[in-house]
Amino acid sequence: MPRRTYNIAMVSDFFFPQPGGVESHIYQLATKLVDRGHKVVVITHAYPDRKGIRYLTNGIKVYHVPFAIIYRSATFPTVFSFFPMFRNIMIREQIDIVHGHASLSSLCHEALLHGRSMGLRTVFTDHSLFGFAEAGSILTNKLLKFILSDVDHVICVSHTSKENTVLRAALDPVMVSVIPNAVVSENFRPRKYPPEPPAPNNGFGNATPAVHHLGPNDPVVIVVISRLFYNKGTDLLTASIPRILENHPNTRFIIAGSGPKSIDLEQMIEQNVLQDKVEMLGSVRHEQVRDVMVRGHIYLHPSLTEAFGTVLVEAASCGLYVVCTAVGGIPEVLPGHMTVFAKPEEDDLVVATGKAISALRANKVRTEKFHDQVKAMYSWDNIAKRTERVYKGIMGDITEAEFYGYDVGNTAAWNGESHSGVRSFALIDRLKRYYGCGVWAGKLFCLCAVIDYLLFVFCEWFWPRDGIDIAREWPRKIYHSDDDD
Amino acid sequence: MLTAAPHLHVRRPSPTTAEFTVSTYPPHPTLTQRLLLVLVGTLRVVLALGAGMLLYAAWWTQLSPSAYEQSNIWLLPAAQHEFLLYGTALGRGAADVAARAPAWALVPLCLGALYAAVKRIHVEERLLVLRGLGIQTRSTPATVLLGWLGWLGSRGGGGANNNGGGGPTRFIPTEKIRDVLINEAFWGFGVRYILVVVVEGEEGARRRLPEAAAAPRGRRGGLAWAKGVSVRRRRDRWRRAAAGEEAEVQGYQATLDRGRQDVAGVGYGRERGRGSGRVMTSRNVITNNI
Repeated sequence: MPRRTYNIAMVSDFFFPQPGGVESHIYQLATKLVDRGHKVVVITHAYPDRKGIRYLTNGIKVYHVPFAIIYRSATFPTVFSFFPMFRNIMIREQIDIVHGHASLSSLCHEALLHGRSMGLRTVFTDHSLFGFAEAGSILTNKLLKFILSDVDHVICVSHTSKENTVLRAALDPVMVSVIPNAVVSENFRPRKYPPEPPAPNNGFGNATPAVHHLGPNDPVVIVVISRLFYNKGTDLLTASIPRILENHPNTRFIIAGSGPKSIDLEQMIEQNVLQDKVEMLGSVRHEQVRDVMVRGHIYLHPSLTEAFGTVLVEAASCGLYVVCTAVGGIPEVLPGHMTVFAKPEEDDLVVATGKAISALRANKVRTEKFHDQVKAMYSWDNIAKRTERVYKGIMGDITEAEFYGYDVGNTAAWNGESHSGVRSFALIDRLKRYYGCGVWAGKLFCLCAVIDYLLFVFCEWFWPRDGIDIAREWPRKIYHSDDDD
Repeated sequence: MLTAAPHLHVRRPSPTTAEFTVSTYPPHPTLTQRLLLVLVGTLRVVLALGAGMLLYAAWWTQLSPSAYEQSNIWLLPAAQHEFLLYGTALGRGAADVAARAPAWALVPLCLGALYAAVKRIHVEERLLVLRGLGIQTRSTPATVLLGWLGWLGSRGGGGANNNGGGGPTRFIPTEKIRDVLINEAFWGFGVRYILVVVVEGEEGARRRLPEAAAAPRGRRGGLAWAKGVSVRRRRDRWRRAAAGEEAEVQGYQATLDRGRQDVAGVGYGRERGRGSGRVMTSRNVITNNI
């Protein structure tokens, strides 16, 4: 049987040229899926200097939808005015699966709703953690519940994030998978790493990278790269730096990133006269992150909330010893020998950093091995493979038992609703799911779903399907499946 | 029924010339279709005359008394107007309707009917490629009237643009063509293929392009692929028909110097282009062959 490939639409408000974690996640995942023989298009909104349809490396097609223009010229809520164009793109690209990213992206939510109305399979990837108490979170959670009650599958980047999403959107945990982020380890090599892997038959086998010891008088350099916001723990950092420097005078700090809290950091430096020990670099581009990281020995990450923390993986890949707060999904990211955990409070962070510095001074940590270990743990190939399995599951190409686990069918708690490839597209079933969302919200959601469906029927009549050109395909890659498949 | 799915016709008058025509006119009209077209044409003439008559009656009956007393309104003495309106059965009927119906309903209705009467049923766009000379684009105007006007204008202009009433043409000499681009663009609520000719020395057009691409289009604006033919068949037909032409089009691509170029859109698929941002639907002709 030939391997089945899919046409996938990644939808998110967050995509290049804007920098960020979600953006690069979508790009890397798309690239690897293309390598596996799938077709991927990305749908995002237009930027002032980037409109229309573009191609990225590997034949990834990006639709920069001129969203704002339609929005301004029509008084319709954005929710429904996007539908005709979305439908046009889905039909011309012959999309099977709509994959939305990031829970704060309204484009993604709309696409998932419209995708279900059109009878497409939908997947949602959640990249963030949310609280339950503030007004903003409550609203977002309600919206998320609305959208996710009819999504075929949800992917979270860590188990903490999964727990959070399941609670927020009242989902069945079975239909939530955990697939972490990854890093392109070639872009995050330590400073003295051999540039090319040695030839296999040169007689010496695998040359392990040289052990680099820290001399007794060498300063320990601590790197911090993060946006300087409250939730990234900048206040914690501001409070700890003077105390760490007091305890360990032969230490330097390099802080990269910008944000509203940078002024606090600068004030701290001035007050304590630490100009020669703390270097502030301002914001750095993602390509430069590696060059900043390899200048240091320890990576300090004082974040207060984090769904995954890709930057930790990047730091470990650069051969840095990681000190981080044990919040959110962070404890799942790296193995214990690469990290020192701290509680998200000042005293504990100072103690943990002290521990890390002494461990490095004693040359107890084999940081030169981190790169290869991280490389083995995190690769986009693996992420793409796992994502592909989710696609297979929702398209019904692997059996329900294989996808959801064999015990699922036997539990008494199972409500009998079939979950995999046969999640019903019938409007009445979709309405049932929406109706269960809440007393008032349920009715409102049903109304939205019905309007969306009517709009779909209208589109089918007004812009008939066979009146839409099918886009020419980029030549597909032929994927030779490896042994694991 | 009256229109067919857009189809491509390639004509090669000489070994160095190729003309691509995309049209919704039925390629081989059946007898029924011919009869229908004649019928619809007649109906349109009657509709136009009727609407004109009603407007005329409305204008005459609601004319102010002072204007009424002036003779020679519209080169005719008042008596002749009287005769036109009240001397014939048709005129009496029109005057009757005009007197009863309120002006605010009558006038827009008549204008709408007039528009329907002169609106073109078929759309046709042409791209003429002349090796060593350049390319010429032509598309049908929105209404029949504009076609006639264009024809009259071109006759007066010494025949340089003579096109037999087919609408305005634009000739782009080879030396002015900097580049020919085929891409997709957002057009109204959808995405379409476009053929863009980058013309030297046309300032400011680059800015217009994205806006034009985002402008909404009318119900059946442009040659959107109509129903009837399956996409695959259609695509194959394009491919077969224009396979030979691709090389020629490529030949006209000037060396790329992207320093300061301006895009003169030779057209987005739109039968009534505005200003110089004209585009032609022949985009699909070439697009499907690269």
